[in-house]
Amino acid sequence: MRINISFMLNGSEVVVEVEGHHRLIDVLRDQLGLTGTKEGCGKGECGACSVLVDGRAVNACLYPALEAEGRSVTTIEGLRGPNNELSTVQQAFVDQGAIQCGFCTPGMIMSAKALLDSNPDPTEEEIRSALLGNLCRCTGYVQIVEAVRQAAVQLRDKP
Amino acid sequence: MGRYNYYKPLSLDDALALHDKIPGALFIAGGTDVMVKIVNGDIEPSALISLRSIPELSGIKENGSTRIGSMTTISELIEHPKLHKRYPVLIEAARRHSGPQIRNVATIGGNLCNCSPCADTATPLLVLDAKVRLRSIEGSREIPIEEFFKGPGETCLSSSEILTDILLDPPQREARAVFMKKGRVHMDLATASVAVLLEMEKNTCRRARLAAGSVAPVPLRLSQVEELLEGNIISSELLDRAREISSETVSPITDIRATEEYRRRIVGIYVRRGIERLLKK
Repeated sequence: MRINISFMLNGSEVVVEVEGHHRLIDVLRDQLGLTGTKEGCGKGECGACSVLVDGRAVNACLYPALEAEGRSVTTIEGLRGPNNELSTVQQAFVDQGAIQCGFCTPGMIMSAKALLDSNPDPTEEEIRSALLGNLCRCTGYVQIVEAVRQAAVQLRDKP
Repeated sequence: MGRYNYYKPLSLDDALALHDKIPGALFIAGGTDVMVKIVNGDIEPSALISLRSIPELSGIKENGSTRIGSMTTISELIEHPKLHKRYPVLIEAARRHSGPQIRNVATIGGNLCNCSPCADTATPLLVLDAKVRLRSIEGSREIPIEEFFKGPGETCLSSSEILTDILLDPPQREARAVFMKKGRVHMDLATASVAVLLEMEKNTCRRARLAAGSVAPVPLRLSQVEELLEGNIISSELLDRAREISSETVSPITDIRATEEYRRRIVGIYVRRGIERLLKK
């Protein structure tokens, strides 16, 4: 059973033909070529596949593609600026050395974005709880928390 | 991974009719358990019938008592402006439920129907004497949540029934409740969890409700501890006895998360600590 669905992806409407058993991550990576979203465990434990659906972080590996219909999906590719420049959160991760192998980074950044969009001035505890569902196997959590803190300050100072 | 069709009915009647028509079809809520079971090869449904687009199953209504639609997500519970004041124990448990990405899609109905002994929302609902409403083609019925759980992954729900609502009585003003969970890290599935609700009249316990998770085939009411406490002054000796009974009456298993012995210890300690914490409030 193939069905056409449409949804907003990084600000533009897309129409894709999906099957019932497709997950959102399959559509993003295999059909739309957006490979910034990573699949780690495939079971909702690691958060590498985190994307935003209607502004909330979800695991794209557990999200049935058909549930995306009519919703707004944001992936790591949607964060870059018009001239391909990094967003504030992305740049903060670079500045703070919050990236080692980089596999968890897109998911970390999407969770951080979801947090900062709803809470511009988070405490360290709030940052850590927002990132609970994102695992880093290189163990760089201290720098990651610092990066989110830096991004929070810079986003607040932005005119 | 198998192939299956995916349906998004817009009403309960349509969902039930679809299920009736398609052999091997399974209802799916937030999917954070069902999708994992499919990946693991534990289940091979011919079709999934999503309950997420059915308006009758969403929303929280308060009218003295409270009705929580089964498709309410864990995040929606936490963010609701009044629930944390009326039923703080439920919200404490919701906050300890997994991580943000799961909480944003996992539903309270799914948490109960998955029927894991460690379901975080089950123990608070047990101490709050919640009821659940179930609906099938034949009609609907209401049962106490205690009767809902039958075994690991097994509820009294027939395969063609849908849990539609969770019903809570108005909170008793004198009741205080607490939820405690042991996990290696914050978002872990519980190694053991305990919810305690007490209604005190001066030093005497008028009503007690206790429930424990991850220490029996189902989320478990600790009725013997309740009987021990009710009508009595809670002394240090009584607390010791409550701890002992809790450890003795549960039937935990040894698995990847903890040993049987450790779980017995933890549940006893948490029961004692939970009661003590409430007495200080």
